[in-house]
Amino acid sequence: MSSVERYFRILEHLADVPSDDLWAQHLGEVCATVTRTSGAAIMILSGSLVSGSWCTTDATSRLIEDLQFTFGEGPCVEAHMLGKPVLEPDLADPEVRRWPAFTPPVLAAGARAIFGFPVRIGAARLGALNLYRDAPGRLDAEQHADALVLADMAARAILAVQADAPPDELAAELEAGANFHLEVHQAAGMVAVQADCSVVEALVRLRGYAFRNDRSIADVAEDVVRRHLTFTMPEATGS
Amino acid sequence: MAREALLIQTLVDLADSLVEDYDVIDVLSLLGDRCVQTLDVAEAGVMLAAPDNALQVVASSSETMRSLELFQLQANEGPCVDCFRSGLPIVNIALAVDDGRWPLFTTKAMAQGIRSVHSLPMRLRGRTIGALNMFRTAAGAMREDDVVVAQALADVATIAILQHEVAADAQLLNSQLSQALNSRIIIEQAKGKVSESAGIDMDDAFQLLRSHARNHNVRLTILCRDIAEGNASARSLDSFPQRQG
Repeated sequence: MSSVERYFRILEHLADVPSDDLWAQHLGEVCATVTRTSGAAIMILSGSLVSGSWCTTDATSRLIEDLQFTFGEGPCVEAHMLGKPVLEPDLADPEVRRWPAFTPPVLAAGARAIFGFPVRIGAARLGALNLYRDAPGRLDAEQHADALVLADMAARAILAVQADAPPDELAAELEAGANFHLEVHQAAGMVAVQADCSVVEALVRLRGYAFRNDRSIADVAEDVVRRHLTFTMPEATGS
Repeated sequence: MAREALLIQTLVDLADSLVEDYDVIDVLSLLGDRCVQTLDVAEAGVMLAAPDNALQVVASSSETMRSLELFQLQANEGPCVDCFRSGLPIVNIALAVDDGRWPLFTTKAMAQGIRSVHSLPMRLRGRTIGALNMFRTAAGAMREDDVVVAQALADVATIAILQHEVAADAQLLNSQLSQALNSRIIIEQAKGKVSESAGIDMDDAFQLLRSHARNHNVRLTILCRDIAEGNASARSLDSFPQRQG
């Protein structure tokens, strides 16, 4: 298939959007449909930090995104940093052992193969497209080529949406349906006061607590914001 | 290298610039040099329009070419200028001092041994961004297939340049996106600090920050950054509630 045909075929899928509000969600679903994978997500990163997810298609893809946000490791983070696709056709029996914190819960949730594609235009790196499948196996050449085109379209879509936003503000279309983990940052602010430390240190503590207690950082943050959990020096205590 | 092989290599080099980060000047210098190497022309150069639509000389196969291109811009006449303005090719014009077409340019060019001039537009979708200019020291026409090849090279270079523009825009937009994301995070962190210090919920904390920013005529992001980074205390905010105990 020529790349022009590929673009048109994917654009036909995209044109089928049920409503403009659901555009990002629809893009995610098209990514999964076209590549014939179990689920998809588009992650936005700023520098080397995960900012959040623009869209996720199901509970497993949400978990895959959240774990990468919590631990700062995983296929999307790596694809974004390396600027090239990161492919793991069998998470249970990988050629390269990587992502020690990320892998066990992802496997437990039923994902077996996972693929990250950088979302970028030229040197502008925006994030990564994540695809997962519930059975092991490589993407074939067609699926791989489709994923590259979809990642390119996602990059253009993100920039087109953000281009209309006032300076210093996130475009409403980018925030609608997206999860930028705002509660985590609120919690970091609270913990900084409770433990008399910097917000950076507070984030590290939240992350460490989540890891030790086998929970997502979003869950821990929610407890902090609801004042069910306070951090004092040096250790966290539930209440 | 055989002419065909060199041409193919040139197209490949130009096409590569579509996907890699590259320097516009390098691409256009390559274009000019390869025209001289592969086509029956003595000199080649490229002019591009700046954002204000004023032409600029960006590549020349020699110092002679460069001075002749600059001269056209100063005198505001010549084949490159006409080609850019009309968006149409101007090829196979034999220079003659008395035809009155470009009196200043013709005199100057003929003094440098130039006998015929050929200028091709760099156009994409109705937009002309510059011109590829080729000069010959013989009076005759350019070979027809040379003109086709030159236009093809100019077209690929045009796409590469416009693509580069898109990439440069993307770079700027991306840094704005990062900035916006970062501002958003800082506001949430400041809300968390104020909420915890004052024992109020997030919405009330946000109101406190916003009204303080408004009263003191500072941008909300700046105020929030100071609070989040610990350069300002939440307690210094206007109407910070006095807690018991």
